[in-house]
Amino acid sequence: MTVPGAASETRPVQSAPPPIEQSLVTFDNVSRFYGEVLGVNRVTLSIPPGITSLVGPNGSGKTTLMNLMTGLVRPTRGEIKVRGASTGDPERLFRIVGYSTQFDSFPKGLTGFEFVYSFLRLFGDSHADCEARAWKAIERVNLVEPARRKVAGYSKGMRQRIKLAQAIAHDPEVLVLDEPLNGLDPLVRAETIALFREFAAAGKHVIMSTHILHEVDMISDQVILLANGYVVAEGEISGVRSEISDHPIQVQVRCDRPSAMAARVFESDHVVEVKLHVDGGGLLIKTRDADRFYRMLNHIALEGIAIESVTPADDNVNSVYEYLIGGEEATR
Amino acid sequence: MNYALWWAQIRAVIRLEMRKTFFSRRGLWVYLLALAPAALFFADSIAVLHDRDRKAELVSTHPVPADALRAIEMGMSREQVEAKLGEPYSQNTFRFSRRSESHETTRYRYTDGENDYIFIFRDDELVGRQSNEMRTIPKDSLIFATVFQFFYLRLAIFFGCVGIFTNLFRGELLDKSLHFYLLAPIRREVLLVGKYLAGLIATVVIFTGSTALQLAAMGWHLTGPAMAEYLRGPGWGQIGAYLGVTAMACLGYGSVFLAAGLLFRNPIIPAGVVLLWESANPFLSAALKKISVIFYLQSMCPVVARPTDMPALAALLLSSAEATPAVWAVSGLLLVTLVVLAFAAWQARNLEINYSSD
Repeated sequence: MTVPGAASETRPVQSAPPPIEQSLVTFDNVSRFYGEVLGVNRVTLSIPPGITSLVGPNGSGKTTLMNLMTGLVRPTRGEIKVRGASTGDPERLFRIVGYSTQFDSFPKGLTGFEFVYSFLRLFGDSHADCEARAWKAIERVNLVEPARRKVAGYSKGMRQRIKLAQAIAHDPEVLVLDEPLNGLDPLVRAETIALFREFAAAGKHVIMSTHILHEVDMISDQVILLANGYVVAEGEISGVRSEISDHPIQVQVRCDRPSAMAARVFESDHVVEVKLHVDGGGLLIKTRDADRFYRMLNHIALEGIAIESVTPADDNVNSVYEYLIGGEEATR
Repeated sequence: MNYALWWAQIRAVIRLEMRKTFFSRRGLWVYLLALAPAALFFADSIAVLHDRDRKAELVSTHPVPADALRAIEMGMSREQVEAKLGEPYSQNTFRFSRRSESHETTRYRYTDGENDYIFIFRDDELVGRQSNEMRTIPKDSLIFATVFQFFYLRLAIFFGCVGIFTNLFRGELLDKSLHFYLLAPIRREVLLVGKYLAGLIATVVIFTGSTALQLAAMGWHLTGPAMAEYLRGPGWGQIGAYLGVTAMACLGYGSVFLAAGLLFRNPIIPAGVVLLWESANPFLSAALKKISVIFYLQSMCPVVARPTDMPALAALLLSSAEATPAVWAVSGLLLVTLVVLAFAAWQARNLEINYSSD
């Protein structure tokens, strides 16, 4: 994976650059089994700072991967390092990691403020310090007004935000978020995404799982695609696309003579499928070699077929995911 | 080793746990269990005081000289008894008939203001004599020791600790909120110690508070001089010992049930097994006896609870065959507690969050 340039540029200036492993979340041949059931298998990853989305259907291993990197579950084999910290060393790990889990449950009887404040006290800091940091985190998720109310009375969206406040209250370098946008209304969703971007821009890790694929394209610097406990692809979205070169890409072409064009493109061995648009004004072409296809298009244009537009039909996570793990799961 | 940080973290855990251990609606029964014997002793004291007032009133209307009571002999007639003691304050007559035989039984009740005396006549001949002696401090001590060892230690504190200590981890696993602790920069061992101390503070406050209340309720009926004499004698020592044994019981059972909460999903199963093990203690070999909490606790109790009219099996359960010196008992219990806590810490260190299987 490539470290996003923007993130690297906005990092705080340090006297000496840290070793590369100090800035990565690494999985080295990690497997986790729950008895006979596979959680994840042979995962080897190096996740750079920035926003990384874990994408996959239910049971694909997203939560297991996040639980592994936060030490909530231990690998059956392999090793995980989070910015150089072992997941077996909570004293070091959780000073740099904040995790907002999928569990929608809270300690009983606490207000929003008490919830954030009480767990900050576990860091061993003073009352005044923890109080200030708790209010700052609550303010960042726009929950100041209801913070004195019991969490039990919060809406789903408020509970998501107070969990996020608790995860960011100690200003972690690595923020792990399991379905963080679930239950949020569009405005809060936009604010939350902005918060993630702010974290990423500061050279931190934001590693989140999601089902909402169209947001992955908008939010993420990197994506990790999971299916049945295996990492099927990883990297920047465009990079992932190139990784799967053995799978055809789809291109929408609008032109004046689609049938002629279909006949022409079928002369090339890299074109595997052509579908005419129902309106007769274009065609969908599947090719195994994008470079050769685009060169061919230039020749076709010179031969007299008027091409109105050429649009990649699948350069988004959804279609990549569809290619990799099948159409049914991609629609989740 | 950052002891200052650990101590700050332990205090933070205790603060978080306090509300749950003291004010949980689910824990209301622990208070009822703890306060039940205090309520019983209080009711008993009220009954004793009422009985004392009744006797004082009777002795003024039916005075009986003490030497006259001693002069009554078996075989005397009702008339002879009445001549010496006067009219009884209460009398009942029963007639029993069987085939051709018929008998009349009469009971005369007298009091000297402290004790009740019952004379039983069969067909006008004194055939029996019973006395209902006043409550004394040694009697009360024995009653207290019996209730303390048979009910309070073995059931009330035992199940109170089951309720509080097993919930420290298991309750949060069931509520799906334990992960908040596990996602904090705190060693699992430090978390365990914090939770254990929170449970210990709660149980010690509740149960030693109840022990103190029980002792106060038991002594409620004692007159000022009697109480002063008791306190000058073994009183303070016994009170201190009972409070200490209560605290040690919370310490020992607390560690056992904290570990059980980490190991078992349903606390009733380990509670049943431990109860069986503790109850079987008198029948175990000398070495096995020492791997229990009740063995050390009974050794520390200041009064041996073995009432003479108790069934043999119950009497056996109440006392350990060989009492251990207090210093060894305390050391032994601390050792058992430390070993169990070390095991619990190892369990906590390997604890994973997998709520679906919990």
